[in-house]
Amino acid sequence: MRLHAALSLAACLAPVSAIFEDDAYHIDFHYALLGLPKHDATFFQKPYGGSKASLLYSISENQTIGAINPKDGALVWRQHPASEPRGKGHLRAADEQDTIVSAIGNRVTAWSSSDGRLVWETNVDGSTVEDLEILEQEDGITKDEAKDAIVLVSGTNHGVKRLDGKTGRVKWTYEDSSNDTPFQVSTSPTTIYYISLHSSIIGAGSKLKVTSLSPITGKKLDQYTLSSDTEITSRDHIVFAGANTAAPILAWTDKDYKVIKINIIGTKTVASFDTPGKSPIEQVVLHAPGHVNSQPHFLVEYQTYFGHSADVFHVDLKKNSVSKAYSLPELQVRGTFAISTMDANVYFVRVTGDEVSVVSSASHGVLGRWPTARSPALAGAYPVHAASEVVVKSGAVTAARSAVLFSNGQWVLIRNGDIAWTRPEFLAQASSAVWARLPEVEALAAELEVERHQNIVSAYIHRVKRHIQDLEHFPAWAQNLPQRLLGNVVGRPKQTTVDDIQQDTFGFHKLVIVATEKGRLAALDVGARGKVLWNVHLTQFADTVFKYPTLRAHSGYVEVRDPSFEGSLFINSTTGGTASYVNLHLHGPQIAEGQKLVSYTLTDGSLKGALETETQGKTESVWTFVPPSGERIVGYTTRPLKDPVASIGKVLGDRSVLYKYLNPNLVLVTAVSELTCTASIYLLDSASGQLLHTMSHSDVDTSRPIPSTISENWFSYSLTIDSAGSPESRGHQLIVSDLYESPLPDDRGPLGASSNSSTVKPSSAQGDAAKPYVLSQSYQIAAEISHMAVTQTRQGITSRELLITIPSTNSIIGIPRQVIDPRRPIGRDPTPNEQAEGLTRYTPLLPLDSKWHLTHKYEVLGIKDIITSESGIESTSLVFAYGHDIFGTRVAPSFAFDILGKGFNKIQMLLTVAALFVGVLFVAPLVTRKQINSLWTIP
Amino acid sequence: MSTPPPPQWVVDLDSAPASKPKNASLPDPPGYTASMTRKERALSSKKSRVPPTPEEMDTLKMKKAWEVAIAPAKQLPMNAFGMYMTGNSLQIFSIFMVFTLFKTPVMAALGIQRTFAPFETPGTAGRLLGVKVVYILTNLLMLALGIWKVNAMGLLPTTRSDWLAWEGERTWSERAVPKEWL
Repeated sequence: MRLHAALSLAACLAPVSAIFEDDAYHIDFHYALLGLPKHDATFFQKPYGGSKASLLYSISENQTIGAINPKDGALVWRQHPASEPRGKGHLRAADEQDTIVSAIGNRVTAWSSSDGRLVWETNVDGSTVEDLEILEQEDGITKDEAKDAIVLVSGTNHGVKRLDGKTGRVKWTYEDSSNDTPFQVSTSPTTIYYISLHSSIIGAGSKLKVTSLSPITGKKLDQYTLSSDTEITSRDHIVFAGANTAAPILAWTDKDYKVIKINIIGTKTVASFDTPGKSPIEQVVLHAPGHVNSQPHFLVEYQTYFGHSADVFHVDLKKNSVSKAYSLPELQVRGTFAISTMDANVYFVRVTGDEVSVVSSASHGVLGRWPTARSPALAGAYPVHAASEVVVKSGAVTAARSAVLFSNGQWVLIRNGDIAWTRPEFLAQASSAVWARLPEVEALAAELEVERHQNIVSAYIHRVKRHIQDLEHFPAWAQNLPQRLLGNVVGRPKQTTVDDIQQDTFGFHKLVIVATEKGRLAALDVGARGKVLWNVHLTQFADTVFKYPTLRAHSGYVEVRDPSFEGSLFINSTTGGTASYVNLHLHGPQIAEGQKLVSYTLTDGSLKGALETETQGKTESVWTFVPPSGERIVGYTTRPLKDPVASIGKVLGDRSVLYKYLNPNLVLVTAVSELTCTASIYLLDSASGQLLHTMSHSDVDTSRPIPSTISENWFSYSLTIDSAGSPESRGHQLIVSDLYESPLPDDRGPLGASSNSSTVKPSSAQGDAAKPYVLSQSYQIAAEISHMAVTQTRQGITSRELLITIPSTNSIIGIPRQVIDPRRPIGRDPTPNEQAEGLTRYTPLLPLDSKWHLTHKYEVLGIKDIITSESGIESTSLVFAYGHDIFGTRVAPSFAFDILGKGFNKIQMLLTVAALFVGVLFVAPLVTRKQINSLWTIP
Repeated sequence: MSTPPPPQWVVDLDSAPASKPKNASLPDPPGYTASMTRKERALSSKKSRVPPTPEEMDTLKMKKAWEVAIAPAKQLPMNAFGMYMTGNSLQIFSIFMVFTLFKTPVMAALGIQRTFAPFETPGTAGRLLGVKVVYILTNLLMLALGIWKVNAMGLLPTTRSDWLAWEGERTWSERAVPKEWL
C-alpha cells in the first residue's frame, strides 16, 4: 500500500532522529556517582595555590576519585581507574599544590586537582600500597615545588618509598626485611615514621613497632617498640596514626573500648585515658589536624548506639605529654565530628541530624550553632562521617559547611544549617534493577481480563458497575483538575509521589527498583528525572551480608534474592516495607490453555531443557544442548517475556509480504573456543532443543564480552576480532540477523497457513519442524560494545532501536533498526521498491552517528545493564541503565507521533481560540443584519 | 337585430399593443397572446410548410441518441492522458479526478432514463435499448479507467500485504522459559 510506502519513507528519515535540544536534561537524567565517600580521604582543598574557592575531593569505597563543586554538588571531574587488585584506596593532597595523589592497589597516581588529568603514574609491581602521605616539609622547610609522596607498600617485600612529586620516580626505598605487617607511615617536619605491627606469637596481640627514617636518604634512624599487645588484637583497634603536625600521634584502644592509649610518635611514653563508660561504645574515632602549622590539638569521638560524645586533648610539645583539655557532653542522638583548621587554629564541627555546632580546640565554648532544616531525603538517617570547612572572622565562626555522609547513603552538604545539595551515593554499584509493577494498575488489568472472558451482557454489566465504582474518585479528580490544567499550560515542575505514577496519563512515570551490591534497595521515578521515592537497606529484612542481590518484579512487590541466603525476600514496591505474605501470589510466565511449559538452565556448560509437569517441582528432562568439544558456552539470550509484535510480516516495496519467523521460544547461545579463537552462535528452539541456525566466527578475541540480544524476529550480537589472525580486519563487529518463515515473499514456509505449530511434535504432513530463513549482515563499528538491549513499546508498532553501551566513551547509543536492516542491498544501489522500504546501500562500516547518542553530554560510567519498558503511549519507550552510574531517558524511535512536543505552544493555541471566539461574537450580529436585509431587498 | 359594435375595451383586448414587456421572465397575463414578430412569423410559416414525417423524426432522434451514447468514450483519451500525467502519488488533484471518474459513470447509469427521455418515442423504444447498452458500456470504460488509476495508486487491496492484518500469529503448543523466570 502507498500508506506503507509513506510510512517507510518516514522510517527512512528516522536515522536523522536525535534528542531534541529542549528535551535534553528534561526527559533524561544521570546520577554521576562516586560511591560512598571514605572518611579519611574526603576533604576540602583548593585546586591550586592562590585559588579562592576550594573543591571537595573524595575517594569512594569503590575506588572512584572525584572532585565535587561544594556549591551545587556537581561533579567537576571523576576518575575510575580500572586497576586490579583492588584494596584500600588512598587520596592525599598537600597545601598549595595543583595535584592530588591517589593510591589504589599497586598504582600511585597524581591527578591535576582542577580538571582530573593524569600527571604521573607509578606502578609498584607485585605489591599493594598500604598507605600514602605527602611530605609537607623537609627539615622544617616547606618546599615550594611539587611535594614528594611517601608510600608504604606491602606484598613480596615491604617497604617505604619516596616518590618524586613531579614525575613519580622513586627517590629512595627503605626495605623492611622483618615479617612485621606494615601498617602506616607518618611524617613529621623532620622525620618519616614507619609503623608496623609486630606479633611475636600467633594469636596473641601485636606490638607496635615504630621505625624512624631520614626523609632525605631513607636510612633507618631509630626503631622502638611499644608494648601494646594486651590491647591490639586486630588492626581495627588502632584508632589513629599520623597527623602531619609537629607532634604526630599514635592512638589505640582495647577490644571493649574501655581505655584509649596515646603515644606521641618519636617518644616512648604512652598516655592512657579512660573512655566515658556510661553506655557501651561502638566506635572510637580520632580527629587530628592534618596541617603542619596547626596547633597539636585533637579530638577523640566516642560513638555509642544511641548517641555520641567527645574528648579534646592537647599535646604539650615541650614536655612531650598529652593532656585532656575538655569534654564535649554526650548527646542522645547520633552524630559525628569533623575537623577544620584556619591558620594555626583548630576547630571541631559537631554534626547531628538536627544541628551543626562549632567549637574551638582551645575552649569548649560554642562559637557557632545552626539548626539543620529537615529534609525528606534524610528521614530516619544520622550522620556517619563529615568533612568541614569553617570561616572565622574576629573570633566568631561566621560560616561552616560540612559534607556529611548520612547513614542512608546520602551525601549532603550542610551550609550553615541549610541543605545545599544531596547526592544519592548509595545508588553506585547497582547490581540489579527492575520495572516495578504497581498493584492498582495490575488490578485494572485483572478486571479487564474478567470482562474479556464473560459474555457480552454480563461483561457490559460488569463494566458499568466498575465505572460506577470509579466515580468515588471523581470529586478528588475534579478538585485537582484546575491545578492540573494550569500545570499543563504553564508547565511548572511538581513533586511526584507514588500516586502520580498511578495517575500518570502518558505512562512516563514508571518506578524502577534498584538493588545495589551493598544491599541497598531504592525506588526511582524515571519520569521525574530519577527522583528517589524510597530507599531502604536490606539488612532490615534479612540479617546477612549482601553480596549481589538480584530482583524480580511481581505485581505490587519485588522479590530479592542473594547468594548469601536461601529463599527470597519480598519488598513492597510502593513503600519499601515488607510485603505482607497474605497478598503474595507468585506467578511465573502466563501460559495459554493447553500449552506445555518447558524450562531450561545452563548447568555444567550445557543448556538443559526440562518439561514442567503438573506436580510442582517435578520436571522431566527433554533436551540437552552441548556445544562441540573445545567450545564453552559463555551465555544465552532469550526473547523478552513481553515482546508484542504488531505485524507478522514485513511488507516489501512491491507490496508482497515476507513472513517473520516469530517463535517465542528462541534462545541465542554464544559459545567460544579459546584454543582456536572462534566464537559460535547457536540459535535454538528451546521447546524442542532443536538447532535452528548456527554461525561461527574465526579470529575472535574470546576474552572480550560477546553481548547479544534477541527481539521479535531478529537478533544481533557483537564480537571483537583479534588482530593476530588478520591485521587488516582488527576491530569490532556488529552482526544483525533477520529470521523469516520463507525466503520467498507471500509464502508462509513449510508450515503453510496452519495457525498452530509445535516444534516438539512436528506434524507429518508438514515434515520436519520448520527452520527459519536467516538473513545476516555484519558491520564494522569503531568501539567495543559491552551490553545490548532493544527498546520496547506497548504494541510493537513503533520501529525498534538497538541500544548499545560503549564503555570506551562512557555512552549509550540507540541505533535505529532500519539502519542495520540485513536486507540492505550489497554492491548495488537500491531499486525503487527497496528505496520505498527505506533500504540504503550496504556499507561495511557503520559510523556511530553522534545524533544517536542517548547520553549526549553525560558520561555514564560502568553501565552493567540497560532495561527498557513500554510507556503509556505507543511511540515512546522508557530506558533505564544502571551499574556504577544511573541513567534514564525515554526514546521515540519513530518520533513522538502521538504526543505534542515541547515546541507546541499551548498558550498561543488558547489565545487563538479565544480570539476567534471574540471575533465570532462581533461578526455574528453583522451577518444576521445583512441576511435579513437581503431578504427584504426588492430585486 | 343587428349586433351592436363591440365596446372599445373588446377591440382593445382583441388587438393588443405590440409592446414587449421589459422583463421577459414575468409570465404573460391570462388571455394575452403576444403578436409574432416578422421573423417568427416567417419561421412558423416555414415550419408549417415542411412538417417532418414521424419516421424522419425517429431517425433524427436515434442519431442524436447515438451521439449521446458515444460521448463518454470520446472523453476517455483525454481523461486517460490526464490520469497518466497526475502520477501515482496521493495528491488532492488526483484524488478529485479519480473521484469524478467514479462518480460520472455511476450517476450516468442512474440517470439513463432521463438522459434518453427526449428520444423516447413509440417508434424508437425498441431501438433505444441497444443505444442504452452502448451508453452503459462506454461509461463502464470510464469506470475501468478509474479502477486502473486507483490500482496504480495502490489503493486496491489486491496483494497479500493488504490482508496481513487479518492473518494471525501462530500459536505454539509449547512455551519455554529460563528456569529463573519461574
